[in-house]
Amino acid sequence: MSDLPEKRNAKLALVVDDSAMQCKVLSVLLKEEGYRVFSANDGARGVAMYIKYKPDLVLMDINMPIMNGYEAARKIKSLSTGNSLCPLIFITSMDTDQAFIESIDAGGDGILVRPFSPAVFKAKIKSIQRISDLYQQVKTLQQEQQKDAELAEQLMSEVIESRNYALDKIGIVKKAAELFSGDIQLTALCPNGNVNILLGDFTGHGLRSSIGAIPLAETFRVMTKKGFSLFEIISQVNQQLYDLLPADLFLCATFVTISSHDESAYIFNAGLPDVYVFSEQGEIKNQIASCHPPMGVIPNLLPDTQLTVIPINDKDRVILISDGIVEARNEQGEMYEFARFEQAAKHGVINGSVSETVLTSVNDFCQGMPQEDDISLIDIPCDGWEQTFAVNNAAENIAEVHLNDLYDDSNSAWRWRLALTGARLSSVNPIPMAMNQINEIEGNAEHWQSLYTILTELFVNALDHGVLALNSELKTCHEGFAEYFKEREARLKTLDTGFVEIQLSYHPFSNGGRVKICIQDSGKGFDLKKHYKQRANKINDAPMLSGRGIELVEQLCESLEYKDNGTLVEASYVWTT
Amino acid sequence: MTVKKFVGEDPKSVSIAIEDRFDFSLHQQFRDAYSSSNNSGTRFVLELAKATYMDSSALGMILLLKDHAEKLSGEVVINNPSEAVNKILEIAQFHKLMTINV
Repeated sequence: MSDLPEKRNAKLALVVDDSAMQCKVLSVLLKEEGYRVFSANDGARGVAMYIKYKPDLVLMDINMPIMNGYEAARKIKSLSTGNSLCPLIFITSMDTDQAFIESIDAGGDGILVRPFSPAVFKAKIKSIQRISDLYQQVKTLQQEQQKDAELAEQLMSEVIESRNYALDKIGIVKKAAELFSGDIQLTALCPNGNVNILLGDFTGHGLRSSIGAIPLAETFRVMTKKGFSLFEIISQVNQQLYDLLPADLFLCATFVTISSHDESAYIFNAGLPDVYVFSEQGEIKNQIASCHPPMGVIPNLLPDTQLTVIPINDKDRVILISDGIVEARNEQGEMYEFARFEQAAKHGVINGSVSETVLTSVNDFCQGMPQEDDISLIDIPCDGWEQTFAVNNAAENIAEVHLNDLYDDSNSAWRWRLALTGARLSSVNPIPMAMNQINEIEGNAEHWQSLYTILTELFVNALDHGVLALNSELKTCHEGFAEYFKEREARLKTLDTGFVEIQLSYHPFSNGGRVKICIQDSGKGFDLKKHYKQRANKINDAPMLSGRGIELVEQLCESLEYKDNGTLVEASYVWTT
Repeated sequence: MTVKKFVGEDPKSVSIAIEDRFDFSLHQQFRDAYSSSNNSGTRFVLELAKATYMDSSALGMILLLKDHAEKLSGEVVINNPSEAVNKILEIAQFHKLMTINV
């Protein structure tokens, strides 16, 4: 070793030449350019010093004892990983095409043939250093981008999607492209046992495509949990993403609610491929195409926006896909397309493994071609989403000394009352507000789920059959449900009179409590005697599609009574701890 | 991949034609094609007859153009999208946001 370093931060050069004279000459020139210089007199020592000092530049003679320049260069280039290019220039007197070609083959980044003037040498060093700096810059940027992509992917899978509901029942395929591309899958349980599902595809790649994911997941979960309807959730998500994201960033998404109770699927597709409903036999029963620009493009949903209501059977499956599947390419550049997907999904439905069958089919088709976009699929079974309630016998568990408290309406701890009139009835959902009050005052508790169901059923009855005067007979067949829903939307839109008033009063006692619910509406009421008679008869009949809500409420309540010609309902919910 | 820009005799009519793949790689070129047109009431006509493919970032780029046009109280019109491109516009329901002449 010679010429010990003088400047700490200067770049490091390694000169490998068997002539001490040549080493000296090159060192002087390099020092004039601000380098610290080490030198070695044969290839093997050159490699050893490369390992030890990790220089920024290597100058290499070709003909040397022990190990020649080509071999040393190959070794050095195979060792240089990481961010630096470590440019290597051969310095030689062999002015032949062969020498030039072999130099580059061995991994050299350039060749300088003697004799050359100091000025030419310095110019060569400058140019190679410029390339090396650029290389390092690119490498650093690439690593940062890689880190961002990993962060985005981790965020999606660990922070957001690990909190999904019913992962044992809902099949989710998620295969991120090499550069993560912003697909998101969310599932959440509604208070009434329905399940909400979202498949989304943010524009862009990497971290850029995931900035909307956290607020999206939060809104979707919280609103579902609080009992907002799917339409309200969609409207809020759209507005939120519009406010949050720049104009060219948006979310293509499908939203689905599966309701075993209504035997219906509520579907909304904004910018994704068709949603499929398959029968048990693998036939396509419905295809729901995109009907709205993606979320976050316009400040409010288009005025005619509606959910599609599909009647479902227990064994049906709803399948959501993102465009990554149908646009997957093989070596010939062909796309996987819908026909292949439908075929694979059909087989998957029949043999009970939609996710695996479709994924295998896509992989077979692509023959190992690199994946350009995220591949996502959600496979949802339509059965098993009913809420299971035990008949509520809480009142029997109350100690006799408290029985007086139970029926004493005078000593309520608090009362809450809301009357909605006219158009507000169609724009405001009072149930999440009521539940919010209860949670704020009394804290979160398991038994509020039953209360939510009671409130929802009674309010919907008052609105639908009272104010809107909808006939529940429509709901006696599957197709009728969709028709009912349509008629309901139409009547809500033009609603400008009528009211529904909700009153809650809370009566605590030492080992439980009671909530008294009164809901009054402006409807015409109904024939109370006939109603009670029918209900008495129905107990022995096969379960019917309509009226199931009231049966459920009856099971949950300690008492339920219709008054004032059916325009006032009083219910009492009791729990013990 | 090319972006061609024509400004007619009326400076309030700017035509931008895209050929081959309309994707993120055209980002800068596409922006350059409209950002200097700042006459109020400008009509931007996007010719997509020769575009064979469009991805979601291209949809985003069109939305940026729409923002630009709306700031000038102008409009964006899409002309003659090829079948493949029209399908993507349809899934994104862009005909509800701007005029598309098929």
